[in-house]
Amino acid sequence: MTDTERTEYLGEVRALDFQRYAVAVGDMNPIYFDDAAARAAGYPGIVAPPNFLTSIIEWGLGPLENEMREDGNHGNAIAEKLIGMKPEDLEGLRMMGGGNEIAFGDPVRPGDAVTLTRRFVETYERPSRMGKLVFIVHENTYTNQHGRMLAVVRETNIGAR
Amino acid sequence: MSFIEDADVGTTLPELVKVPTAVQLFRYSAVTWNAHRIHLEPDYARKEGHPDILVQAHLHGAFLAQLVTDWAGPRARLVKFGWSNRGRAVPGDTLTCSGRVTAKSGDTVALELLEINQRGETCAQGSATVRLPSRGDKS
Repeated sequence: MTDTERTEYLGEVRALDFQRYAVAVGDMNPIYFDDAAARAAGYPGIVAPPNFLTSIIEWGLGPLENEMREDGNHGNAIAEKLIGMKPEDLEGLRMMGGGNEIAFGDPVRPGDAVTLTRRFVETYERPSRMGKLVFIVHENTYTNQHGRMLAVVRETNIGAR
Repeated sequence: MSFIEDADVGTTLPELVKVPTAVQLFRYSAVTWNAHRIHLEPDYARKEGHPDILVQAHLHGAFLAQLVTDWAGPRARLVKFGWSNRGRAVPGDTLTCSGRVTAKSGDTVALELLEINQRGETCAQGSATVRLPSRGDKS
């Protein structure tokens, strides 16, 4: 029986991390950088960009290089992220992100201690120009240290054979 | 900044144009701790059948999110946001993000979002639900 749901503690949100994220995107919205601007907008202080939480691939150290697949993904991707899938179903797949549907809760603030519950939803296949595509869908719920929901995300990953 | 009074079905958002570079992809991978080689190594990306290193799926999403927040302004609140990746993009592509109001209810609007490249091909499409401030609100 494969696990289809798992809860893990991700870590603490740091202002510098989400500010670097915003810089990498090229999104210099003052509510990510300036407490006064954020307060003027009705927040208690600076907040993270809306899709910061869900874009982080690794919150901790991540795998050592010798623990990676050839493509640079985690060799134990199923246990780490794609729970509910069987290892043999991922063998040889070229993986790509497919998209997110995010419902937002409380704003994400510096110092938030984030817990993630991943739940496997479904997997299905479709033909495409790139060959057969495998769609893998999870519903991920992020909460903070107060038990407040930060985001619920329907995440799609795509593997090409 | 947008007010609910000024947003109606059919209202279009000012376009956001992005031309991602290899440096941008590197920094986005670094900050999200993403070691996937299709975003880092052109030779490896070609080995997987891609023309060059690929713009990260989430970076496409970030561009569409920025399109919305730039238009809506800091006092608006994003209720829902989503996108799906439909086509690849590589450094040097010109990605044009556009959006349109498709529904309005109370202080909330629904948007449809599109990101296309310089050939007019769809790279990502999305949607958002946004609560907008009112002109009558105290700031």
